[in-house]
Amino acid sequence: MINSALLLVLIAVPLLTTVATALVRSDRLRYRLVLPSALVTMALALTLIARVLSMGSIRALGDWLYLDDLSGVVLLVVVIVSALAGAYSIAYFRSEEQGHVLKPGELRKYFVLFHLFTFTMVVVSVSGNLALLWTAVTATTFASAPLVDFYGSREPLEAAWKFLILAVAGELIALLGFLLLYASGIAALGSAYNFSIPVLGGAGSQLTPALAGLGFLLVLVGFGTKAGLAPMHTWLPDAHSQAPAPVCAMLSGAELNCAMLAIVRVLALATPSQGGHAGELHGALLGFGILSMAVGVVFLISQRNVKRLLAYSSVEQMGLIAAGFGVGAPLAVVGALLQMLTHSLAKSLMFFNSGNLLLRFRTTTLAEIRAVAGVAPVTAILVILGALALAGAPPFGLFVSEFSIVRGALGGPNWGVGAVIAALLLLGFIALVAPFSRITFGESAGERPQRPRTDLGAAVLAPGFTLLIAVLILGFWVPGPLHALLIGASRVISR
Amino acid sequence: MLAEVLLAALILLVTFAFIVTRRLRAAVSAYAAQSWLLGSLAIALFADARVVGLLLFGILTIVVKGIVVPRVLRRRTAMAMAGRRETAYYVRFPTALLIGGALTLTGFIAATKIPYPHQLLPGSVLGIALAVLLLGLFTATARRDAILQVAGLLAAENGLLLAGLVLAPRLSLLVEFAIVMDVLIAVLVMGFLVARMHEEVSSTDTSELTRLRG
Repeated sequence: MINSALLLVLIAVPLLTTVATALVRSDRLRYRLVLPSALVTMALALTLIARVLSMGSIRALGDWLYLDDLSGVVLLVVVIVSALAGAYSIAYFRSEEQGHVLKPGELRKYFVLFHLFTFTMVVVSVSGNLALLWTAVTATTFASAPLVDFYGSREPLEAAWKFLILAVAGELIALLGFLLLYASGIAALGSAYNFSIPVLGGAGSQLTPALAGLGFLLVLVGFGTKAGLAPMHTWLPDAHSQAPAPVCAMLSGAELNCAMLAIVRVLALATPSQGGHAGELHGALLGFGILSMAVGVVFLISQRNVKRLLAYSSVEQMGLIAAGFGVGAPLAVVGALLQMLTHSLAKSLMFFNSGNLLLRFRTTTLAEIRAVAGVAPVTAILVILGALALAGAPPFGLFVSEFSIVRGALGGPNWGVGAVIAALLLLGFIALVAPFSRITFGESAGERPQRPRTDLGAAVLAPGFTLLIAVLILGFWVPGPLHALLIGASRVISR
Repeated sequence: MLAEVLLAALILLVTFAFIVTRRLRAAVSAYAAQSWLLGSLAIALFADARVVGLLLFGILTIVVKGIVVPRVLRRRTAMAMAGRRETAYYVRFPTALLIGGALTLTGFIAATKIPYPHQLLPGSVLGIALAVLLLGLFTATARRDAILQVAGLLAAENGLLLAGLVLAPRLSLLVEFAIVMDVLIAVLVMGFLVARMHEEVSSTDTSELTRLRG
């Protein structure tokens, strides 16, 4: 009872914040609403996750809302990323206000959409009814597309439009998948049943195999578009490079995982009915995963812009996560789940860095940024350590999660898959670290324009440092409750 | 069942208008007509099968997608019409026709391969639904004009809802409500972006938006 109430409060807080942000008169009050709302949402989320760990999954409103270990992982990612992106947004726009001109009303639009975006992603993580899950994933597109267009010139508009058209086309394909999934339950559950995760999960192996399998494949292709899987990823580098830096963190760190949650959830529901053919569903996921990794790595090499580089790294990383789930061995699945968390921490850190570089150097073009270490030493520490963390260097958290994905894949019947993943990760490492070390330590070839040695303020650096410390700690030590959550979530998938 | 099948066939016929039309207004009218037909089909199905959800679904479809959404789109077209009348494809017109025909065929063949449990409507309607879905997605990706792209996605969604009536006619009302609401939001956000596009490149021709590469 109290659990259901908490679940309702959890989604009410960001929604009410959205309304309040739209209604209050001054931008100062709008700034002040961000952190309290984020902290309350985070506290509620952590409480609920703790309760899931001790009491099992939580259901509310006739299964319209549902939280288990698997959705708990994504909920955790969403609340952490949106809280830090909120904190960074405030610092970023305050610094930007001095140099850049924000038109009146722009901050209102930004924060209304920001909270709405958070709300839709929280709803994705706690959706119990599969139609609600689809609707919520779709709603994240509509909340985030105007944010991509925030800077309001031609390139952001082009990016937002491409994102909108391709994401919606993908969502429609996914909807057909959900309809087939519903039809797959009719034989066992009757023609009118509650289309929810626990009900379909309960029917398990009685679903019509062909329909459930086809449903999964359509959801994979459809939501794979939104999760940035190749070859449907073409919108991602544009959208994730044109948005303001804190929004990029939300897009890459949280939204992609929301789409991945939906894919994995349907995989978990469809697999039990497949019998000996379950491997084919996993194989499809693995195939998209490896392809995305390859495409991501190849495009990493030729990028000239910090944010586009990071966007292609997201394609690679989502590919890795998909591959981890596709391998299906418990170790790889736990690794993929941990990777969702560690990647979103490191990627948010790097997008905050891209914002910092923009604030300091007025550009995100790699060739125009040089000698960050000399000009802004503290910023440089965040840039280079963040790049190493994101690339998966030890002792950072991504090393642990990537290592367990690779080990899980090597231990399986197809050890070649593990070798391919490891090779792509190594190439990705080089392609990512090289440009960042160049801008940090490299001297410009010609006459060096003398830049005064000043660092950015503590407010813009603090969110990044928080993330860096978190991702460093995860490299040494995965806290007990988090470990339990990951194990619980992996059992949901490979039941 | 004859009335329903006839209405479904008309939906497919109207969808071809998206492929052949050269005018924005005609495409919006085709979408409105498609929505009216879909709503009527749901109501006819309600009359046969007495599933209350279908009645509400039909009314919602007609009100939201047959009346409100076309009105919003028409307001946007009025602005865009001043700029351009011809609405081109990214591919050549005869090629577009050929692809349209192939997609229709694909939809019907795909429908015969899906082993779905028979509900209220015959399998031929599923073929129509998938054909409409594919034609809509094709319009959304191959047309240059932003408003036609939106209309294409909305048409594809109508195809999906038709597929929903075949596959899962008793899926609860709230589901359909959520889907219809989604369309409403879609049109608001897309309408906003279309307006921005008009302001930025003074047309809704997306081939003007090609600066992002690599």
